[in-house]
Amino acid sequence: MTVLVGRRPLSLERAYRHLGDASSGGVVLFVGRVRPEDQRGRPLVALDYEADVRMAVGALRRLEGECARRFGTRKVFVEHRIGRLRVGTASVIVGAAAPHRAAAFQAARFLIECLKLEAPIWKTDRYRSNRRTVAR
Amino acid sequence: MAGRLRILLFATAREAVGESTLSWPLPRTGLTARQLLDALGKAHPKLAPVLSISRIARNGAYLTLLSTPLTSGDEIAIHPPFSGG
Repeated sequence: MTVLVGRRPLSLERAYRHLGDASSGGVVLFVGRVRPEDQRGRPLVALDYEADVRMAVGALRRLEGECARRFGTRKVFVEHRIGRLRVGTASVIVGAAAPHRAAAFQAARFLIECLKLEAPIWKTDRYRSNRRTVAR
Repeated sequence: MAGRLRILLFATAREAVGESTLSWPLPRTGLTARQLLDALGKAHPKLAPVLSISRIARNGAYLTLLSTPLTSGDEIAIHPPFSGG
């Protein structure tokens, strides 16, 4: 089980390595990236991410445990980056390794959807000239 | 019971106050979480509407009862609706 919230750039290779387990026939990795526009279609230059790191890690660890019980995952991985991230930069990676692909896909989807609802992480839109915090 | 509380402010709560942390006095008569939120909203009027939609954590665990009495040294986190991902 691996849950990380920090400033270093994300790495798919590192995520895949954490999920490495020869007994898992299916590994699914999802990467969330900074979109070029806000919800109203206005161009963004970056998003500033912040987190209550201690509580975010706690919330994500609970999700990991839930994945194992619910989907039978062998391993899961969640890393969320914080700080200023420019458009196109990876902000989050979630991954799940399971004996079969269906469970791996379900678990990865569950992880990213529940992360958005349950992890105390926030983003603030950064425009060329002003800014606005969004709650999605 | 006199002492201080540490208040952690995130996202819109931080922007409303202009600080990410506050040191808040705990009076000798004590303070509940509800009383703290009322006092914070009065001291920082822009924060009041954010508080009404935020979850409140005490020492890393969410409070379900705002009648909880606070203790000197408590760390109180104000969590507006999340927007990670």
